[in-house]
Amino acid sequence: MTVATITTDINIGPFKIPSNGQSMIMNNYAQRNNLAVELAIPEPLMSNYFATVLWLHKERKLSKVILTSIHQLPKKQDRIEELLKNMKNVEFHFALEGVSGKGKDFLLDTINESKIFMEARTIDSTKTTWSDLHKMMTKNEK
Amino acid sequence: MNIYEELMHGQGYAVIRVEDMKLFTKLRDSFIEKINISNGSGKNIDSLRKAMANMSKAEINKSMIDILKFTNLSEMMIKSFPKLTKSLCGKKLFIQRRATVIMNVPGKGQAKQWPHYELMSGISPFMYIIWAPLHDIEEMSGAFYIERKESLKIMKKEERAGLVNGPTALSMMKSQKPLQLKFGEAIIFNPFILHGNVTFDSKLARIASTVRFQSCNKPLLQKNSEYLKYYQLT
Repeated sequence: MTVATITTDINIGPFKIPSNGQSMIMNNYAQRNNLAVELAIPEPLMSNYFATVLWLHKERKLSKVILTSIHQLPKKQDRIEELLKNMKNVEFHFALEGVSGKGKDFLLDTINESKIFMEARTIDSTKTTWSDLHKMMTKNEK
Repeated sequence: MNIYEELMHGQGYAVIRVEDMKLFTKLRDSFIEKINISNGSGKNIDSLRKAMANMSKAEINKSMIDILKFTNLSEMMIKSFPKLTKSLCGKKLFIQRRATVIMNVPGKGQAKQWPHYELMSGISPFMYIIWAPLHDIEEMSGAFYIERKESLKIMKKEERAGLVNGPTALSMMKSQKPLQLKFGEAIIFNPFILHGNVTFDSKLARIASTVRFQSCNKPLLQKNSEYLKYYQLT
């Protein structure tokens, strides 16, 4: 039974986190939660298929995996189903959000929450000012 | 009073009443239960405040770790104000993933919060903030709020100097009069309202909880899932 961290592409939903940054975040989370990491799994760029994780799970029987964020979970339906089928008994930890759990319902809720955040509109803070933001607020309609 | 109008076009903050006092009292009891501080005289909010008043900043920070166990604090705060929350934002919300409990110790140099806007942390301009003390607030021991037009004037002045909470905002700490509130009252304010606290003299520390929330149909700024979570009011 193995505890593993998983690094992925630098683009993680709304965040941009290089793999060494992901490792720092996950290792800090592991330390705070008394989790002893035995395996670091690198997933390739431009992929959230979790193919390496699924393959290693068969070999090493992962008991807990740590990810940087909920936004690293697969988006495509076939990949979600593959994950649910093979990893429903594995405990998932998401370091930035500080949430953990296991099972089909937990994973589906987490994937859904990520989708809600990704569908939310975002103000580009590099193209605005404090005054503009204040105007946005006062023009806000309920 | 129309709270929405007061927040957007009025003074930018308003005193509100807790709608579900039973739940809010339960929230306070849960906090007392979870925090690992005791002065040996039984645990209630005032004995806790008394013990806390003599603790160092480091000791208080250490005890804050115990509060991490309070994972449903955000939901309890929101559910203490269900009608107001729904009237401002609808049922589908982004709420702060972990509401905060702020513990302020009396005495010189102990004021933790310099005057600041909530927006400077990267929350959206569509976010609302509720600050609710867990006990009656004695004179001068609460937080102060600068009304919207004055806050905006200071914000613009500092923006021109490339600052956010610079000398103008910081100098306000000396001259402000904090609001007095009873347990069961709270302040709601918009993210552009300058607020902070002043040094106060008391034998008791001040304990309050804050939560931030917005409609999930409104845009986010920099804070995302690391800070917020999706929550649906029933």
